[in-house]
Amino acid sequence: MIIELGHFAVITALILAVVGIFSPIVGLKRREAVWVEVGKQAVTLNFVLISIGMLAMEYSYLVQDYSVRYVYATSNSKLPLFYKVAGLWGGHEGSLLLWSWILSFFCMLAARIHWKTQPAVMPYLIGMQSTVMTGFLLLILFLSNPFERIFPVPLEGRDLNPLLQDPAMVMHPPFLYLGYVGLSIPFSFAMAALFSGRLGEEWIKATQRWTLMAWLCLTIGILMGGYWAYYELGWGGYWGWDPVENAAFMPWLVATAFLHSVMVQETRKMFKVWNLFLIILAFSLSLIGTFLVRSGILSSVHSFAADPGRGVFILGFLSFMLFLSFGTLIFRSAKLKSQIEMDSVLSREAIFLFNNLFFLVAMVTVFIGTLYPLLTEAMQFKKVSVGPPYYNTVFMPVALGLVFLMGIGPYIPWRKASVQNLKELFLMPGLMALGGLAFFAFAGIRNSYALAGLTVVCFVATAIFSDFAKIASFWAKREQISPIQGFVTAYKKNPRRLSGILTHIGVLVMVIGIIFSTIYQTEKVLIMKPGEETGLGSYRIKLIRLYGAQGGNWEGQEALFNVYKGETLLTQLRPQKRFYTVSQTPTTETAIHQIYTGHIFLTIPEVAPDGSWARVRALHNPLVLWVWYGGGIMGLGVILNIFRKTRMKISAARPETAPEVAVSLPRSAREEVLHHRSNRWQTLLNAVWPGRKEV
Amino acid sequence: MKEMAETKPPAAGIRGWQIALLAVILGLIILFYKGLWGNPSYIPPVLVGTAAPEITAPDLYQPKEVSLSQFRGKVVVLNFWASWCQECKLEHQNLLAIQKRFAQNPNFVLLGVNYQDKEDLAREYLQEHGNNFEHIRDVKGRISIDYGVYGVPETFVIDQNGMIRHKQIGPIIGETYTFLVERMIEPLLNGTATAS
Repeated sequence: MIIELGHFAVITALILAVVGIFSPIVGLKRREAVWVEVGKQAVTLNFVLISIGMLAMEYSYLVQDYSVRYVYATSNSKLPLFYKVAGLWGGHEGSLLLWSWILSFFCMLAARIHWKTQPAVMPYLIGMQSTVMTGFLLLILFLSNPFERIFPVPLEGRDLNPLLQDPAMVMHPPFLYLGYVGLSIPFSFAMAALFSGRLGEEWIKATQRWTLMAWLCLTIGILMGGYWAYYELGWGGYWGWDPVENAAFMPWLVATAFLHSVMVQETRKMFKVWNLFLIILAFSLSLIGTFLVRSGILSSVHSFAADPGRGVFILGFLSFMLFLSFGTLIFRSAKLKSQIEMDSVLSREAIFLFNNLFFLVAMVTVFIGTLYPLLTEAMQFKKVSVGPPYYNTVFMPVALGLVFLMGIGPYIPWRKASVQNLKELFLMPGLMALGGLAFFAFAGIRNSYALAGLTVVCFVATAIFSDFAKIASFWAKREQISPIQGFVTAYKKNPRRLSGILTHIGVLVMVIGIIFSTIYQTEKVLIMKPGEETGLGSYRIKLIRLYGAQGGNWEGQEALFNVYKGETLLTQLRPQKRFYTVSQTPTTETAIHQIYTGHIFLTIPEVAPDGSWARVRALHNPLVLWVWYGGGIMGLGVILNIFRKTRMKISAARPETAPEVAVSLPRSAREEVLHHRSNRWQTLLNAVWPGRKEV
Repeated sequence: MKEMAETKPPAAGIRGWQIALLAVILGLIILFYKGLWGNPSYIPPVLVGTAAPEITAPDLYQPKEVSLSQFRGKVVVLNFWASWCQECKLEHQNLLAIQKRFAQNPNFVLLGVNYQDKEDLAREYLQEHGNNFEHIRDVKGRISIDYGVYGVPETFVIDQNGMIRHKQIGPIIGETYTFLVERMIEPLLNGTATAS
């Protein structure tokens, strides 16, 4: 009964989503604000209804109602409670429901937060969000219905995929969806800007925190996925260039480019079309990613069951969204022209331009790599292998270039840098980089990627810290305080910049982690009998014994290893080979011992049936934790950025935006935009309706 | 992007980048649509019947470069393998047998290509499983890209004129072994091969 209630709630939500598309359009046509109000109520109610749908599904999980097909497919009575709850997003149907729930939540939130401050955007925001919502609800209700029942009712569930029974994996999809869906808000704002012709900096300022939040969630999601792959899949790496990883990585790359290039528009009024293009691209890529993952078009470790019908629907919806968004961009961008042209290649805006190009090249690299199997199938190309070698050859230099730009972009002046500037700013980092290169070469590092990477890290780190020293001493001198207090003052004066730099520091830490854990990894794969031992770099591992083990829903074997350094026993490790009885799936459970910030990593992918030997995979991954520490620092930088205090004085007066608004709106309307107090809705609708005579 | 910033106001109508953008989107959608009806695990039999891409790579044991062109006029069997690859172990004894069988023939070369591997692990692997032929290292993955290697093991048969005559995906065991030896290598060496 409960499940039918949830089903019905989601059906109603679909109807309301359609209302959400059309009522703002009617409102714009008839210039009646009340219709937009209807849209706002529709999206609010939508959130409530989809929440009911979610709760109904969760209830079925808690009571283990196997008459619901989806619950039967992704749960089991022996499963721990935590995974029963998380089973909802353990498959295609339920994860789509989660997607739409997050979408409805964000949409409701955005409509309420910006209702007063961004009235002109509202009709478009509600309309666009409802369009996306309608697409997803149609997909859920007609092609991927989690509320479906089966008869006869099975006695026991088929169990959640054992690989997904892991805390990091439980949180990984929700974070990715928060990121994907979070991008829809700045996307809708951009579309609103295009439709209404209000193409100033306002939409960017209003969506700054949304973009940062989406970026943060996407980053957390990707890093969690990496960590899960690292210890759960047991191959000792955290990134495999799998199509589904790439699907999350591409929007991340473009969103990162967008976060940077908006600064140019804010300061220099350039890159207007470009910024619109980037955010539309970022959200489109998350839709394309959804298509690639859900249609089963590419083979991947993540794919959901292939179903051409579903694929055709998602493709249809995807095409509609692509043409709608890029089409609008194309036909409305004609009014856009940056008033200011670039003064010099040696300027911050030029570095931002390179930054953006590099990010886009990186994205295109990944995009082509991901779609290569499709391309070869369609065109019978000759070269067909696109695996890690392709990405390492093409992607790594671009990534290195981006890291290098981190040492220049934030420090080079706007407009035009003089030779004197450049000398002051980059002589020291340049020398340190050369010193670093000599040091690392002398220390015996021969791998060219590692050398180049570490040299660049030296350059950027010096640039960052000499800038820190400079600003700290500046404020210390001016306010007569200690350099540390001076640094704190500097932070308070410009929290956005410094939290951004903190994110850059996180990137450096991550780069160091990536370099050492991939290039200086020690690996051994061998067959061991109890009592045998093997060396692993400066460590030794000894297989003590092999024995049977079992847990709630699995049985298998466990191996006991002693890990020595010299003659000292460091630890005992117990990797397992599990067999999940219900789903008939084997898994390998990794055993990890942390040494400083590196790992000794053991798995037993194969054990003799009589327990006389095991195939052992032993890895030493130095500095591997730096990858996630770096990620943590990056995240911290962004969190500080999201929660920083906005400088009210500046935003209240808006000396920068005023002329911009003047360009696109008549003076009276501009007054309304800036001081919308009473009756603003009606006036604004009159003012910003694109059909009216303007400019 | 600079173009975008500098292009003239709208009077000209639709500009080049706009058409390009639309074309890309359209192309993508067509590609996706075609892809929906394909089989994602289908591997096209490319390269067979075309000239083998040139290889220059370091030898696994000696400090020297080996190139494919130095074997022109001979039948070359190119085997991609790695020490981490389980299926490679299945075929390894058969590879040794092939080399043993044709070792007397001056026109036969079996060349191992060590793929995505570490040098010491590769040597350890050969020490454990035995070795009687030459191996080169695909250091940057360049060779695998050129030959379109999806995964290991993969084996290519190249004829005296440097043309790829056969591509084998997966281990050379059972019937595959017989086919490779009796239907591919022997006829090529005897000059009795027909186009495959």
